[in-house]
Amino acid sequence: MIVGGVDIGSTTAKAVVLRGDEIILGTILRVTTKPEHTANLAMEEALKKAGLSSVQELDYVVATGYGRQKTTFANENISEISCHARGAWHVCPSVRTIIDIGGQDCKSMSVTEKGTVAGFEMNDRCAAGTGRFFDVMAKVLTCGYDGISSLQNVSETPAHITSQCSVFAESEVISLVNNDVPLADIITGINLSVAGRAGGLLRRVGVKSDVVMTGGCSRNAGLIHALEKALGVPILMLPVDPQFMGAVGAAVFARDKATAAKAVPVATQPAKEASHGTV
Amino acid sequence: MGLSETSPTFRDLARIAGTLRNPRVDSWKSGGGKVMGYYCSFIPEEIFVAAGLLPFRIRGTGSQGTELADQYYTQVSCTFPRHSFDQALRGEFDFLDGLVVGTSCDTIRHTFDNWKHAGLKTPFTYLLHRPHVTGELQVDYYRRQLEKLKSAVEEHFAARITDEKLWEAIELCDETRRLQQELYALRKVPNPAITGSETVAVMVAGASMPKTDYNAALRTLLAELGTAPGGGKAGAARLMIAGCAHDDPSLCAIVEAEGGIVVTDFTCFGGKVMLESIGPRSGDPLLALARYGVLDRPFCPKIGGAHPMRKQAVLDMVRDFKVDGVIGQVLVSCDPWGGEMFLLKDELKEAGIPMLKFETDYLPSSVGQLTTRVQAFLETVRR
Repeated sequence: MIVGGVDIGSTTAKAVVLRGDEIILGTILRVTTKPEHTANLAMEEALKKAGLSSVQELDYVVATGYGRQKTTFANENISEISCHARGAWHVCPSVRTIIDIGGQDCKSMSVTEKGTVAGFEMNDRCAAGTGRFFDVMAKVLTCGYDGISSLQNVSETPAHITSQCSVFAESEVISLVNNDVPLADIITGINLSVAGRAGGLLRRVGVKSDVVMTGGCSRNAGLIHALEKALGVPILMLPVDPQFMGAVGAAVFARDKATAAKAVPVATQPAKEASHGTV
Repeated sequence: MGLSETSPTFRDLARIAGTLRNPRVDSWKSGGGKVMGYYCSFIPEEIFVAAGLLPFRIRGTGSQGTELADQYYTQVSCTFPRHSFDQALRGEFDFLDGLVVGTSCDTIRHTFDNWKHAGLKTPFTYLLHRPHVTGELQVDYYRRQLEKLKSAVEEHFAARITDEKLWEAIELCDETRRLQQELYALRKVPNPAITGSETVAVMVAGASMPKTDYNAALRTLLAELGTAPGGGKAGAARLMIAGCAHDDPSLCAIVEAEGGIVVTDFTCFGGKVMLESIGPRSGDPLLALARYGVLDRPFCPKIGGAHPMRKQAVLDMVRDFKVDGVIGQVLVSCDPWGGEMFLLKDELKEAGIPMLKFETDYLPSSVGQLTTRVQAFLETVRR
């Protein structure tokens, strides 16, 4: 059985092909202004890596992420909260708590022993403490995202960033820069600030080991370090790229659905043939 | 197919709920009638009905922003009074002949000051002091406050509100509540013929038109719904919304578009207004109204000492309507409901009822995030 999962996030798109137990990751792409087109591009990458030529060769596809409802080649869509939990549990069954920090959202989830969501919390409305926040800070500090995430920039004397709002925090950082505060102190302060917010979300669902981080911000080693410090527990590294966890979870759901419902292969479903686009 | 397509009665009610000055208000005014605007569900409409006035519950329907109102409020005021007051500043409530505001939350109470400070020309304005604690002593105090309100209304509108008229008004409003209870009862079945968003429209219309007309429309609608097929949502997760002033059907519509069905609610424009009756007539009608407001139905979270009653009302609804999950909706910066929800979340958890809490503005925003949360919630509830 070959199935697919595609995650159209606020900033990047990721797709995965699941062939038996083999997880084949696609490529992380920036989203375009057309979610359906983005989904096609992302899936095309994963299909290429799997040596497949068309989405019609997949038995079932689940879409997740902001663009999930516009992914017309998918058989169904499932929320990214369920998908991240399922994906992380699939590759690491000991996981019980997840923090997913993406481009625009921050979510915490508690996971049961069976990989289902026991509870979740999500940031309300504002993008403070998400990937966007880091983008803004990297621009102000002209250090790029690599500079923000580098463990080389972890300081023992972090600057204190008090504002929760990205825009006001940017003003604070500009003041610190102009007061000659060392870059590492500012960067550590930024990561601690985001870790504080994420820690608050995690505590609402309950912090139970193993704890893992998923989403694009899981690439930020400085943030993971800050979060471990804030929570007092280690953040486990997942064996599969954590940024793909939404897509992995979607693919695992696709396999479950295809197996359970003995789903009709995609290729025989006339409703979707017209919407395959470039895939 | 929704009720908009099948029921002219519903279409009429939805039109009334979808605007402020509606044809029923126009026809009331053209017949020489006066309209009394009021904030909050605890304000006793019965006094206005007894005075021959049309009670009109103030809301922010049609508002696109709060640019005019913002200068009157602090940053930590919720958006319901902001939007409704913005509408007032734009002249949308110029049809009101009177305004009664109660001492519920601070923001609503300040709206009374703002209304006067802004120089709005509403001919009659009155601030009703309602106790912030439940109890027998407060009933006595509140009865005296209602007496003062009655006298002020009598004097300004040259009306004489006898006990007989008050009881007649109470019976009319009780009939509204009874019919609304019947409407809600229809949603206890596995596949209700009316959705949550449609119910919001029906409930909001009830506070925006003459009670006699509304009761007649409700009877017709109930007869139609009694023979109507189900809404095609058998097996969907059955949800309840609890929380703030909720007069916009679109919030329910967002929830229901994700696959759930809202079968009941504990909100200021919805379920809370019809849970109890005041009659049968017995003795002093003002005392009956006072008891109803602070002792029998202390459903405003601004009334201290009554949380156990509100919790019980929510749990009873969960049981009676076979609710699978509760959505707690709090307007950003609403302190009374913020605190209430904090307690309710743990209490529902203890009762084994899943709850999703979210903060929104009066106009739904960040719909993408909202739908993700609702969808994830439904996925966990259905499991």
